[in-house]
Amino acid sequence: MSALTLTLKAVPMQRIDCSPLTPDALAEQSLADIAAIELSVGNMMQRVDALFDITDGDSGQIQINNSHANLDFVGRNMQSGSITTDGDIGAYAGIFMEGGELTINGDSGIYTACEMAGGLINVDGNGGDFIGGARPGYKNGMTGGTVIITGDSGDRTGDHMRRGFILIEGNAGDYCGSRMVSGTISVLADVGAHLGYGMKRGTILLTQMPSRGITANFNDCGSHTLAFLPLMFASFKKLDSQFAQLEPFSRVQRYAGDIGGIGMGEVLVKI
Amino acid sequence: MIINGVVIDETFAEAFPMKGTRLIITAHNAKWAMISAQAFSGFATSVIACGCEAGIERELDPSETPDGRHGVSILIFAMGGKGLAKQVETRAGQCVLTSPTSALFAGIESEKQMALGQNLRFFGDGFQISKVIDGKRYWRIPVMDGEFLTEEKTGVVESVGGGNFLVLAESQGQALTACEAAIEAMRQIPNVIMPFPGGVVRSGSKVGSKYKALNASTNDAFCPTLKGQTKSDLSPEVESVMEIVIDGLTKEDIDEAMKVGIQAVCDLGFEKGIRRVSAGNYGGKLGPFHFHLQEIMA
Repeated sequence: MSALTLTLKAVPMQRIDCSPLTPDALAEQSLADIAAIELSVGNMMQRVDALFDITDGDSGQIQINNSHANLDFVGRNMQSGSITTDGDIGAYAGIFMEGGELTINGDSGIYTACEMAGGLINVDGNGGDFIGGARPGYKNGMTGGTVIITGDSGDRTGDHMRRGFILIEGNAGDYCGSRMVSGTISVLADVGAHLGYGMKRGTILLTQMPSRGITANFNDCGSHTLAFLPLMFASFKKLDSQFAQLEPFSRVQRYAGDIGGIGMGEVLVKI
Repeated sequence: MIINGVVIDETFAEAFPMKGTRLIITAHNAKWAMISAQAFSGFATSVIACGCEAGIERELDPSETPDGRHGVSILIFAMGGKGLAKQVETRAGQCVLTSPTSALFAGIESEKQMALGQNLRFFGDGFQISKVIDGKRYWRIPVMDGEFLTEEKTGVVESVGGGNFLVLAESQGQALTACEAAIEAMRQIPNVIMPFPGGVVRSGSKVGSKYKALNASTNDAFCPTLKGQTKSDLSPEVESVMEIVIDGLTKEDIDEAMKVGIQAVCDLGFEKGIRRVSAGNYGGKLGPFHFHLQEIMA
């Protein structure tokens, strides 16, 4: 059975809260029920069929066509199934997500994978700021799952991150891994300023030395062969990502920090 | 039943339920993986006094190990889950953590799990690092040669301990040769270990003792020097008896190991001085698993 398809009728002038449109929420709902769901649009409520053309299909696989950066909260609380967007997407994509797959064929906005607990988010484009972070005022970011960004990520990638993987195939912005508690961020290209700022624990794995070097608040611990890296690369093999093709390595230069705090985080640079 | 001139007694071996797990030790090369595995599985011949029974199942090719290095798989069994957990933790801490270049992984999946590196991590004194990869938590513990990597938990499965058979021969040398042949064949069978030295035990025991403090004592019915002193089970021409004890993950695994082991003994046959194959039968006092020799060899 083909996917349940929602095609955006027009460029939205206001931000649309798409959080009711998840496979779990739409399970066993009729087409009429889905059409009648009201979404928050700016300060109004509008029916789904007023915003989208709906093509009936398997609600376990949702396809959003003509997607736009004003579509927020796509995949919120998602636990299973898949959502695929054709186009950009707005803020808080995959927030509180626990399972399933969210594929964004375009750019994602700020707070992608915010407080995500499981599942897979694949952004075939650039990611906004605060990927895998915590909501403003909260201290627990992403606690599980995997986020792949095929392009560049914004600033504060993995802010307050606790578990899981954020894999950036392009460049990462400033303050990558800031205030990170645990988990793993890996970047295949360059990273911005203030790498690992306020990082408590966790791992930032780089395949090349950052163009700005390692920040002064990380201490060089020397070159090492780390046994966990082959296991991690083996786990990447199942991903539809450049990380699956990455030649596994276990020799790295290890930097520990942020020594302005407890200093138990690490930046590993391939050597 | 007679196979190649060797009498297969109409009896059965008794075995008992145990808790078991499989562990995988890897290292820089096969030599150091084996050294670590041997240290871990040392002094683990019998639960009577060792607290567990453990042995090396087989060597692992790098393609078979989690970290792509040479490895060894170990099976360890104990009478209960708590006892098993204590033995695994103690042995992992003293024999694997300490062994150069080693890493330690769970080798069996099960809903029921117990600690593997969960408590060893505290050796890291706060510098240990957790990594969750594919739903499994690993601990990276800094040590003087680099990092000791260990999986946090391992599976615990219901297992069977104490499968056995006795080889009765005309001489000590012939009994040993037959047992060596049996062990070589049995080591090809997965999911089993023969925990005694070299897989062979010469001091088979019976249940109980005349001394109250002991719950096992020498199997006098099969001691050749006591033929005239006790109710012996040996004929005049039998001068030496050796036993092979098998622990396995399932009864079927032990069935298979006993079959190939007894067949290897029988292949040497009467001409090589092998007279009988019997089993440790304790009248049902030892355990609920019964391995009937003639049914296994039928």
